[in-house]
Parts: sequence; C-alpha cells; structure tokens
Amino acid sequence: METKRTPKNIFVQGAISPDSIAKSIANHSTKTDIGGHSIFLGQVRSDEKPEGKVIAIDYSAYEEMALEKAFEIREAIFAKYPLSCMHIYHSLGEVKAGEICLFVFTSSKHRKAAMDACDELVERIKAELPVWGKEILDSENHVWKVNT
Amino acid sequence: METKEQKISVRAFGMIAEKIGSAQIQLIGISTIDELRESLFDQFPDLKNMKFSIAINKQLASGNAPIPADSEIALLPPFSGG
Repeated sequence: METKRTPKNIFVQGAISPDSIAKSIANHSTKTDIGGHSIFLGQVRSDEKPEGKVIAIDYSAYEEMALEKAFEIREAIFAKYPLSCMHIYHSLGEVKAGEICLFVFTSSKHRKAAMDACDELVERIKAELPVWGKEILDSENHVWKVNT
Repeated sequence: METKEQKISVRAFGMIAEKIGSAQIQLIGISTIDELRESLFDQFPDLKNMKFSIAINKQLASGNAPIPADSEIALLPPFSGG
C-alpha cells in the first residue's frame, strides 16, 4: 500500500540524547522484515581555533526551508534505495562538545542499501540544509562553523 | 509602476544576520536579485566580501531572477549543519 508522505519535523531542541537513540532502535524490533540498520551520529568536536577552543555549537536554521528540503532529500533517497525506514534528527540551539547533534538512521532488508543510503543522506544534509553552526569558544568569542 | 514599489521582507541567517545586525529587514522597490544585491551592498557594504546565496520563497535563486510581489527572501551564508 502506497502511503503519502508529508514533511516531518527533523529538529530537536538541544542535544540528541543517547536514550532517545536507544529508544529509536528499540522501536524497530517489531519490523521483522528489516535485516540491517545503519546509523550515523554527529558529535560536537572541541576544535582548537586560533581564537579559542570550541566548547559548544549553537545551531540555527531557516526551518521552513530546511524541512521542505529534508523532505525532498528523503523522497529522493527512498526512491533510490529499497529502504524500510529512514529517520533524521538535527539539533537546534546549543549543543556542548561531546554531545550528539545529528542522528541519521536507515533500515533495510539487507545492509548495503541501509549503509549507502545513510552515507548519502548525511552528505546531502550537510550540503543542502540551510542550517548554521556558531562555534562557541572558551574565550567567549565565537566563529562560524565551516563544513568541509 | 506598481512593481517598483513592492515591499519585500528579507530574512537573514547566520553570519549574515550577525553582520547586518538583524534577522529581518524590509526593502522597497526591489523586483530582481540584482536590485536586491545592489540595495543590500549599499546599506551593508560588508556584505560585498561575504559569500551568501539568496532564496526566493524557500527556493535557491540563480542569476538575476525576478522577485515576485509578496515574496519571502532569505540571505543564506554557506550551510554548516551536522
């Protein structure tokens, strides 16, 4: 049965808790056609900058556009890979160094589709979603994060 | 000319918002991307040295696209999510 998918909220205020990630994994135990999950977790890194050491990232987004874009990416990835499930969560607001700011989760019958889809999703999220990270430094200054 | 008088709302994000000191500004008499850039560079000369793209109604605009009345314009510095 074809179900119509609509844009979902992907944003989470603050850090993504390891508990919520564990729960999300557990939620799939009833989906017994799944044979493989692939998970990517982005963690805030404490880079040393000339201006100071990164202690947190404060994320902001053009939310309406980001949700439309995330939906477009989601549909494209679903069309390209035989996936059972796909989940995307991205933090907004402040996330401290060592905490999780991005959680991408794909599931499929066989591992390869889940792994390839997860990889492509992460790349597209970083390149195409209008989200910005302001790196808060221990010197009370900040610098704007640059994606490589 | 009615189109020359149109008021547009411009949202700014990230380091662009920081540079212009506001997350939202109103501009009058703008009907193309080139006019928008010119008006912004006039008011905020620092933007000339910054990289940003422009979205019209949540779609990235390319070239000198027209800006329809009542559009929502957004100034988007390079994305750095994740």
